[in-house]
Amino acid sequence: MDDQKSNHHNNKSIDLDDSPPFVRIHSHAEIGSSEERAVLELEDERLNSCDSITRKKHPFKETSSSDICHMKCKNSLWNSIKIVIFSSKLNILMVFGPAAIIVHKTTGYHGMVFLLSLLGIIPLAERLGYATEQLASFTGPTVGGLLNATFGNATELIISIFALRNGMIRVVQQSLLGSILSNMLLVLGCAFFSGGLVIMKREQVFNKAAAGVNSGLLLMSVMGLLFPAVLHSTRTELHFGKSELALSRFSSCVMLFAYAAFLYFQLRSSKKLYDMESKTETSDDDEAPEISMWEAIVWLSILTTWIAVLSEYLVDAIEGASTALKIPVAFISVVLLPIVGNAAEHAGAIMFAMKDKLDISLGVAIGSSTQIAMFGIPFCVIIAWIMGQPMDLNFQLFETATLFLTVIVVAFMLQEGTSNYFKGLMLILCYLIVAASFFVHVDLDSVVDKPHKNGE
Amino acid sequence: MKMDYKLQVGVQSHLEMGSLDDRSMHDLDDECLYSPEMDAQKTQSADSHERVSLSGSLAVGGSKMIRNCVYKSIKTVVFSNKLNLLMAFGPLAILVHKMTAHNGWVFFLSLLGITPLAERLGYATEQLAFFTGPTVGGLLNATFGNATELIISIYALKSGMIRVVQLSLLGSILSNMLLVLGCAFFCGGLVYPGKEQVFSKATAVVNSGLLLMAVMGLLFPAVLHYTHTERHAGKSELALSRFSSCVMLLAYASYLVFQLKCQKDLYAPIDEEGSQNGENSDDDDDEAPEISKWESVIWLAIMTAWISILSDYLVDAIEGASEAWNVSIAFISVILLPIIGNAAEHASAIMFAMKDKLDISLGVAIGSSTQISMFGIPFCVVIGWMMGQEMDLNFQLFETATLFITVIVVAFFLQEGTSNYFKGLMLILCYLIVAASFFVHEDRSSTDESKQPQT
Repeated sequence: MDDQKSNHHNNKSIDLDDSPPFVRIHSHAEIGSSEERAVLELEDERLNSCDSITRKKHPFKETSSSDICHMKCKNSLWNSIKIVIFSSKLNILMVFGPAAIIVHKTTGYHGMVFLLSLLGIIPLAERLGYATEQLASFTGPTVGGLLNATFGNATELIISIFALRNGMIRVVQQSLLGSILSNMLLVLGCAFFSGGLVIMKREQVFNKAAAGVNSGLLLMSVMGLLFPAVLHSTRTELHFGKSELALSRFSSCVMLFAYAAFLYFQLRSSKKLYDMESKTETSDDDEAPEISMWEAIVWLSILTTWIAVLSEYLVDAIEGASTALKIPVAFISVVLLPIVGNAAEHAGAIMFAMKDKLDISLGVAIGSSTQIAMFGIPFCVIIAWIMGQPMDLNFQLFETATLFLTVIVVAFMLQEGTSNYFKGLMLILCYLIVAASFFVHVDLDSVVDKPHKNGE
Repeated sequence: MKMDYKLQVGVQSHLEMGSLDDRSMHDLDDECLYSPEMDAQKTQSADSHERVSLSGSLAVGGSKMIRNCVYKSIKTVVFSNKLNLLMAFGPLAILVHKMTAHNGWVFFLSLLGITPLAERLGYATEQLAFFTGPTVGGLLNATFGNATELIISIYALKSGMIRVVQLSLLGSILSNMLLVLGCAFFCGGLVYPGKEQVFSKATAVVNSGLLLMAVMGLLFPAVLHYTHTERHAGKSELALSRFSSCVMLLAYASYLVFQLKCQKDLYAPIDEEGSQNGENSDDDDDEAPEISKWESVIWLAIMTAWISILSDYLVDAIEGASEAWNVSIAFISVILLPIIGNAAEHASAIMFAMKDKLDISLGVAIGSSTQISMFGIPFCVVIGWMMGQEMDLNFQLFETATLFITVIVVAFFLQEGTSNYFKGLMLILCYLIVAASFFVHEDRSSTDESKQPQT
């Protein structure tokens, strides 16, 4: 049962018991910052064990909802900022955000703008996840699960929406694809590898059932992507140019429906499990959020806005960066963008694997892939439909074949339910091959993909 | 195969939805019929007399007796099933064809007319299988299980509509694997939400393996053609297809042998725990056929003949129907034809899943797919060879890719050995995507196909 329990920890789409692990993810993500974290005194008894001393963050329960004192407000604002911004060493990178904007306005040197905005987005993405998880601890399992399911990859979605507005459809497709590939191969491989190295004597196990459901969903998304691509490449569509679009939109609706059913199914089965088990095994503060609900919402909006702003600069700079750095746009979109964007999740997954909590790592890695494949991609197609952009599910044959092969490899590796460092190494090496292929891949479509700024 | 055959028996009995009450009941002097449920059914006395007469120990008023037998037989076979109302559409289709030649209607009506005939054909096969023992019975089921599709295919081959044959067989496999299986999983999962239903992993895996082998057989000619790397353009794929078909038929034959031997080994010691005889609700006619052996043979012949006639009209009307309804031929062959043709199997698979007999559902769905892919398709290639038609295994890239991804998805879903409503839902949604793809798919090769109607 413990396995089942931790299995449901790992899935990003439910938040029943997810708040503790995700609290832990973000706490652990602040690499080595515990000693320097500002220790905040606690008025609340939520802090219930000496474990909290060893925790990298001290939960600070704000009593703002009942407190209208001005000084307390100012205090709480300062403390809030302290928790959210200054509590993580990673947030030093935040300064690169404004730096990117300054560089853009002064020099217009695309390569630097691209790099700086990319670096600036990393901590924001991580904080966004943190805020989401904090908010989720207030809203209860259902809405919390939905929150995680939607905002889990909010960064990728925001970047994609901006790219769509510019008409850079290929970039959207490739960045989403790259996100899936990097999650499935690189993040998972690193997790397996590091976990296997740390825990040498035995094979780590994870919940086969959850992995199987995720693999099934990934295969279904491959199916949804395969048909438009094959239709196009065999030139057998009924109305040239229009058929794939119509088919893609229909398939996207079907995939979104499947994802909704998946969430529902997960919630039902996890509810059942939760009733059966009384308590989780976490010794830390189970349900203790660190900032209040309104703070969480406010921070959520602030971070989203910031990410949106930086994304715009990022997207505008892609093509210039490609010429400046002399790398193909495909490589930037598929390999660079996701690796850097996913850095925080990556670190989290590795740490959990090393603590022998492989189910959580799996949830981060494969759950994220499933989310993007079955929610992110169809969602972008629908958004493009609304915007009037002709984004379809035809990712062109090369990219679709890559995804197909990767999903099969990963599904095969996962089906056993065990992991060791060799499997991790194989996955990492597979990712190397994929990355190398994209390094020498010329995307014929992107040459014609001029940024069409419409509706700005 | 005996297990399959027994399951098929169960299938057919349950197929007559709600007809147990209406079934004409034949009194039996013989001890074969041993359940008291039979008493509740309508009693006719003719059957016992008929058996006695057939065993030659009676030579009473000949013609009147025979007329009675025929009448009773017809009653059992034809009138015992509400589905058979659709039989009226058969002659109607012929009438419409002769009068108006409106192809859309002819197609639709003949399709509806074939549905009950297909179901009755299965029934007659299973009845005959009672008399022939497990081996031949298994073979009968293996061959006639998809007789309808084969008959339609042979007629299409005669007309030279090779693409239609390929597409309809492909569509049959796809609809069995995704739609029928998905509905079975889904309905079963809804009825039993508390637990996950289980099925025999071994059978599922063997079937998946055979399906993958079939995909391999189909993939090579298609890729050879697509990459333009065949040695003798046009002739290589045909030769390769014919060779591969023989190999696949051999594989299927060994599969049957393997199944039979396994059943024999399992059958003796385990005492049919696998075939769930104990708690079966078809306890009633376990070994009790409802019509005699000769009746079965005759009905089999009659049904086959009827199906052939209707298939002829059906096949002739396909292209006209495609124009009349403004749907592509690919969509009609791949989606419409199999769904309606398979309706009876579909319903029975769902019913078995809802009774928590998921193994039988799986046998109906996946077993049928395996049969068509490893027996039906190669068989048609060989028949085409004999007819002089150039049917090969090159199903064109789009269709082959579809089959490939579908087999992989289904093989993956089956390997766990459990089912729940979500898996069923996923399979059904996958079928939606497949159907939508074929809706916008134009089959280039069928437009330049030369039709040589050979009578």
